[in-house]
Amino acid sequence: MTKSTIELPPKGGFSFDLCKRNEMLFKKGVQPPSFRKTGTTIVGLIFQEGVVLGADTRATEGPIVADKNCEKIHYMAPNIYCCGAGTAADTEAVTDMVSSQLKLHRYHTGRESRVVTALTLLKSHLFNYQGYVSAALVLGGVDVTGPHLHTIYPHGSTDTLPFATMGSGSLAAMSVFESKYREGLTREEGINLVCEAISSGIFNDLGSGSNVDVCVITKGNVEYLRNHVLPNPRTYTSAKGYSFPKPTEVLMTKVIKLKEKVEVIEGGDAMEE
Amino acid sequence: MEKNLDFNAPHSMGTTIIGVTYNGGVVLGADSRTSTGIYVANRASDKITQLTDNVYVCRSGSAADSQIVSDYVRYFLHQHTIQLGQPATVKVAANLVRLLAYNNKNMLQTGLIVGGWDKYDGGKIYGIPLGGTLIEQPFAIGGSGSSYLYGFFDQAWREGMTKDEAEQLVVKAVSLAIARDGASGGVVRTVIINSEGVTRNFYPGDKLPLWHEELEPQNSLLDIWGTPAASPEPMRE
Amino acid sequence: MTKQQANWSPYDFNGGTCVAVAGADYCVIAADTRMSTGYNILTRDYSKICKLADKSLLASSGFQADVRALQKNLEARHQIYQHQHNKQMSCPAMAQLLSNTLYYKRFFPYYAFNVLGGLDNEGKGCVFTYDAVGSYEKVGYSSQGSGSKLIMPFLDNQLKSPSPLLLPAQDAVTPLSELEAIDLVKTAFASATERDIYTGDKLEIVVLNREGIRREYMELRKD
Repeated sequence: MTKSTIELPPKGGFSFDLCKRNEMLFKKGVQPPSFRKTGTTIVGLIFQEGVVLGADTRATEGPIVADKNCEKIHYMAPNIYCCGAGTAADTEAVTDMVSSQLKLHRYHTGRESRVVTALTLLKSHLFNYQGYVSAALVLGGVDVTGPHLHTIYPHGSTDTLPFATMGSGSLAAMSVFESKYREGLTREEGINLVCEAISSGIFNDLGSGSNVDVCVITKGNVEYLRNHVLPNPRTYTSAKGYSFPKPTEVLMTKVIKLKEKVEVIEGGDAMEE
Repeated sequence: MEKNLDFNAPHSMGTTIIGVTYNGGVVLGADSRTSTGIYVANRASDKITQLTDNVYVCRSGSAADSQIVSDYVRYFLHQHTIQLGQPATVKVAANLVRLLAYNNKNMLQTGLIVGGWDKYDGGKIYGIPLGGTLIEQPFAIGGSGSSYLYGFFDQAWREGMTKDEAEQLVVKAVSLAIARDGASGGVVRTVIINSEGVTRNFYPGDKLPLWHEELEPQNSLLDIWGTPAASPEPMRE
Repeated sequence: MTKQQANWSPYDFNGGTCVAVAGADYCVIAADTRMSTGYNILTRDYSKICKLADKSLLASSGFQADVRALQKNLEARHQIYQHQHNKQMSCPAMAQLLSNTLYYKRFFPYYAFNVLGGLDNEGKGCVFTYDAVGSYEKVGYSSQGSGSKLIMPFLDNQLKSPSPLLLPAQDAVTPLSELEAIDLVKTAFASATERDIYTGDKLEIVVLNREGIRREYMELRKD
């Protein structure tokens, strides 16, 4: 008898095997596990010589802060960086994947990566997954054609802008940009405006918090300013400190050593060709 | 309120797009608003996208879908131009758009207006609405703002307009739609295509005509509140 | 006629955390002052602590519209009590009244999570903790609201209380001094603010002892 279907090894990409099962479980009222969402403020702007990117550093799972100091500005290429909002796993995976494609492309061509190349690779991946890969990105970099700033939405649409914001704090940050951005900002002014926009997200949006990360990209130079501003120190620490006075009672202490045991099987079938 | 501020909702271009033929070519026009629900995600977007040197397309509906369609068509037309050794016609471009829009009608939420000039047929406008039909038209309007423009075009459009007349018609029409349609806004962009080549024009939002009950453009509300005339008279006994 | 389902909710959740600790001759009641909805902060300075009688204080998180309605109801009932008995209600009496008031709305509950703290008739600290429909218990310390998941284990570790099933009944009050209790509450809130997005801005601490009522504030993270 021959099987009508042949089991093939997986070809890579996502596995959708369990989608039907999960749908059934959901209808029966089983709650799916929550994802680590970076309720986020990420921004970017173009200044005189290049691009400034900014991000807060809070990662949340529902109402709980999962990481107080995470990195949301991802490396794409030596001259290109990308801020990510949405499901943390998706932004991480999609930027890593595209950054590796860009490196291969650089080996192939022997030229510096272009921002539009990264943009096209990101948007075509996201469009393929019809919004199910929930990554909202702010992509910035300087290449042979000058400084560039783009936003990419989970469904694969892209915009090209002089200043951009994304994530749950995007409205707070955009209100800062809309009132203070102008053309031809200096490097100093650019960094300060980005910090102000991120801070506005940190303080007014509960999904964003902790510190400000900044990344300044100019022709031939990148400056990654991790924790550039730390506006939220701990407010109170007890002078005396705390101990945990009631440990679990120890009833017995006995160490049993593992025995080394090798079993030799005599005979057995001889190898055949 | 929460529902309307859903950033996971796909980006859609509640739009006004227009294509008009005149005696020497075509004029394309569009507003510049891209929104997610009630949030304006981009107030200066360019919805008139280049396909070849002489053919452009106005995009409406889902931003992701319309971008992917025009990216594919641009790529196909590039190949086609190389293989043919001469510029692609507007008809070919429009037919490629139709092919993609029709074959993937289940996946796509986008309406497009293709316009351009070629040496065989001159200026031509093609509308490709939601299902993927291809209609050659003397003028085409699309997007959410177009509902406010049918009557206006029935009245104002004439055969054989001059270039300036046609462009003025387009700008007037888009500004009318911006005034009434909440999903359209920002600036007016136009593209004029004829035997001479392509001209792009841009009309900022504060330079557009004011229609019925429209307010003067204001940079900041503080400008209104700051003026002494606007502050109320102090009460006296 | 087809039945229609309401597609809006009469409830909201405004976040916030409340803590109360009872000692031998004092009671500490504390709550943060942030009021929020979704990812928005509505105000950074909203008091969740309400003085119901001379010796009973109520701290409540949940839906602040319901909380306010509940407080007004209790205030009115207390006014009547004073007219009838010519004295302030005792804290245990107020605890029973609160339970009855909550259970009265068993099938359309007040969306309020309460901790009632005060001094009993002997001047000893007492804390009562509630669920939304009026189930209540006298305890030595308690925490309610969005940060309670983070604070409660810490309090359990530091202030283990005797089992309520022990006979004869053990005293539930904590062995700490007043200053130690305040220090503990401050640490608990500073820590909860680090990890709970709905807790922050400012901490309001009210201390009740034989001298009377004292109120103090401490700044918390504002992000």
